[in-house]
Amino acid sequence: MTRSQARIPAKERGKGRILPREEGAASLDLVIAVMAFLASLAFGAVLIADRMAQTWQAGLAGKLTVQVLPEGESLPSAEVDKAIAVLRATPGVLYASALSDADNLALVEPWLGHDAVIAALPFPRLIDVQLAPGATPDIAGLEKKLTSVAPHAVLDDHGRWIGRLKSTANNVVLSALAVLALIAIATAATVAFATRAGLTAHREIVQLLHLMGARDRFIARAFEWHYFMAALLAAACGAGIGALVFFAAGSLDQIGLTTISFLPPLGLALAELPWLALIPTAAAVIAWGTARLSVIAALHEFY
Amino acid sequence: MVRFENVGMRYASGPEVLRDVSFTLESGSFTFLTGPSGAGKSSLLKLVFLAERPSRGLVTLFGCDLARLKRADLPALRRRIGVVFQEFRLLDHLSAFDNVALPLRLAGLRPAEYRRDVEELLSWVGLGARLHAKPPTLSGGEQQRVAIARAVVAKPDLLLADEPTGNVDPDMGERLIRLFVELNRFGTTVMIATHDRALIESTRAREMRLVDGRLIEMRA
Repeated sequence: MTRSQARIPAKERGKGRILPREEGAASLDLVIAVMAFLASLAFGAVLIADRMAQTWQAGLAGKLTVQVLPEGESLPSAEVDKAIAVLRATPGVLYASALSDADNLALVEPWLGHDAVIAALPFPRLIDVQLAPGATPDIAGLEKKLTSVAPHAVLDDHGRWIGRLKSTANNVVLSALAVLALIAIATAATVAFATRAGLTAHREIVQLLHLMGARDRFIARAFEWHYFMAALLAAACGAGIGALVFFAAGSLDQIGLTTISFLPPLGLALAELPWLALIPTAAAVIAWGTARLSVIAALHEFY
Repeated sequence: MVRFENVGMRYASGPEVLRDVSFTLESGSFTFLTGPSGAGKSSLLKLVFLAERPSRGLVTLFGCDLARLKRADLPALRRRIGVVFQEFRLLDHLSAFDNVALPLRLAGLRPAEYRRDVEELLSWVGLGARLHAKPPTLSGGEQQRVAIARAVVAKPDLLLADEPTGNVDPDMGERLIRLFVELNRFGTTVMIATHDRALIESTRAREMRLVDGRLIEMRA
């Protein structure tokens, strides 16, 4: 065996790549990585919004709150006791109890801060009511009973609040999905452009293969595979950085360093991070399909 | 095998480079296409290996009227044709072995099925020691031999060669023409465009001469 025959093992002969390795493809990789990073942020927003909507709904479901509003400077304590008595006598109510002053202060602290002046403000008295699982009390009837014994009482079943939260969460999800769709379109356009550029750069090779009887799908396969792998790797890097950002944000939440306490935690749970793997997969599929369509369309220009 | 009837061809809106060309290549024939540079030899070959369409006239290939064929039918026809291009058109990023194996890959064969044939053929054209050399590292003559090996490796029904011995010494030229003759004996129809009178005189094959885009039968 001669020296040049020994260079490549026999079983490797005949497996040379049809297309040469792409030069100057780093910019495409960078664009796809950035797109994937942005997509991971948008997708993370979807996951967080969805999780928070569920958490809020689960937290408030089965609960009622009764506020007994102050009359001028004084609080009608007798009305609080009467309201609690009515609530406890209502079928389906497991528990009804007034919040302490300390609990009240803790509730407003995220918005108003911790200040001695706040303690002097005329707060309403809040009664926390826990319903039995599956209980559906007649809210309108209960409200009527409450106001008959405690005219300053206001019943809140959180329906409006939950509705607003759900609507906000839905808006976040829809906006993030729109961003994801835009990113997908931009990625497809970028890959289409790169495929066209690749076809122009390799026109000689493509034309030769065509003249030798290569079917369009054979030539397209060489491009598809190239862009599939490039998009998969670049998007994995971008989504990986996105995952790190969410992981870091989650770590800050855990050590209590979030700056705005009433906002939901901005990190993703470890169990949610694998969802970000969908991004490189989607990017690779988009690149594959776009490259295939672009090559086949371009090959139709040949006889 | 190949039939042209009153074929004309022009590039875009330029003048006609082929005019009223009519001829027939019988199956198993051996034909030289001669003529001065610019007479239209390469253009005529391009029509035969389906790189260009005629502007007018009728071209029949392997019994098929090309005007009636769908685009999807053409790759199968092209795979029955081996072409030695004047400028070789090798893939620079592939080894000599992979370049020669390309038609067999396109035909769907696996490396294990063609490895021995490709190595034997490359040895036959004197490149057994350069299987894995890339074309840019080969001399002009070596590249030409790789191009010829690629054109004949799949034992095509029709072999077209454009100046196939232009870059090799007389001994290698004679060896290559023997390869073509051998292939022709096994049934391949051969058409060679050349200026090389010695090559033409070395066989008693038919000669067609193109002058200013028109075909003149020189030797039947």
